Amino acid sequence: MSRVPALLVMHADLAAALLRAAERVYGPIEGVEVLSNEGLSRDALEKQIVHTVGGWSEGGLVLTDFWGGSCHICGASAARGRGELVIVTGINLPLLLDYLHNRDSLTVDALAERLQKKGQDSIRIQRGSA
Amino acid sequence: MSWLIHRIDDRLIHGQVVIAWGERMRPKRIVIADDAAAADSWERGLLASAAPGVAVEVLSVEAAALGYDAESAREGGAFLLVRDLVSALRLVELGARIDRFTLGGLHYAPGKDRINEYVYLGAEDRRAARELIGRGVRLELQDVPATTPTALADLDASVRSA
Repeated sequence: MSRVPALLVMHADLAAALLRAAERVYGPIEGVEVLSNEGLSRDALEKQIVHTVGGWSEGGLVLTDFWGGSCHICGASAARGRGELVIVTGINLPLLLDYLHNRDSLTVDALAERLQKKGQDSIRIQRGSA
Repeated sequence: MSWLIHRIDDRLIHGQVVIAWGERMRPKRIVIADDAAAADSWERGLLASAAPGVAVEVLSVEAAALGYDAESAREGGAFLLVRDLVSALRLVELGARIDRFTLGGLHYAPGKDRINEYVYLGAEDRRAARELIGRGVRLELQDVPATTPTALADLDASVRSA
């Protein structure tokens, strides 16, 4: 099975910072692209996403920060007519690490489903003790 | 109640609208006046899904202008979004009685000049801005509620009506 490629599209410096943080935990990371929406119109951001995902003949994941933001909307537009691309929103550090650990063994779709489930489990509460 | 903001933003629905303005003002509806989006059912679906819990209506500029007064009388607040100053002017020309637009994001493209970090205007934008100001419409730059609005005419003398 070939590796599932990923593009992180997020606000401000979040995508680059998240990738840096993941490298501290995981080690050097290859094959993950990053993009900021800073200063970009919808068309310009969509074009930049299309530019990156255009080379993914077997599809891949566009990972964004939150549902309804321009990163998500432009990712969705870039994936129009390309069923082999999947957008996952709400990406955090646990999810990025989980993607890295599973990108060589799952299909695009199975990996997206896994991240969604993992995301719902990754927020936990640790209360202070009395 | 009804109209809470009239926003000009080439991204239409996105994070600042849904989170920054949306969480503060809690609109019941977001009306998008945009001919291209209104004519495209896939795009309408995408925009409708982008603001969970808020009804999104994607209308042509003409339909939005025709429905403007009726929306004013509806219960609950509404946001109006257009993608550029030309669409904003058309809304007003078609009869929507709007006295203020907020410029929330008009991003760089070749041939456009920087007004501030999120507003860039070209010749056509400025023509529409002049016309709107000449009709008594106030144009203000403000991306999120926590920032102070600034009049476009204070930043760009070329849009002041003669």
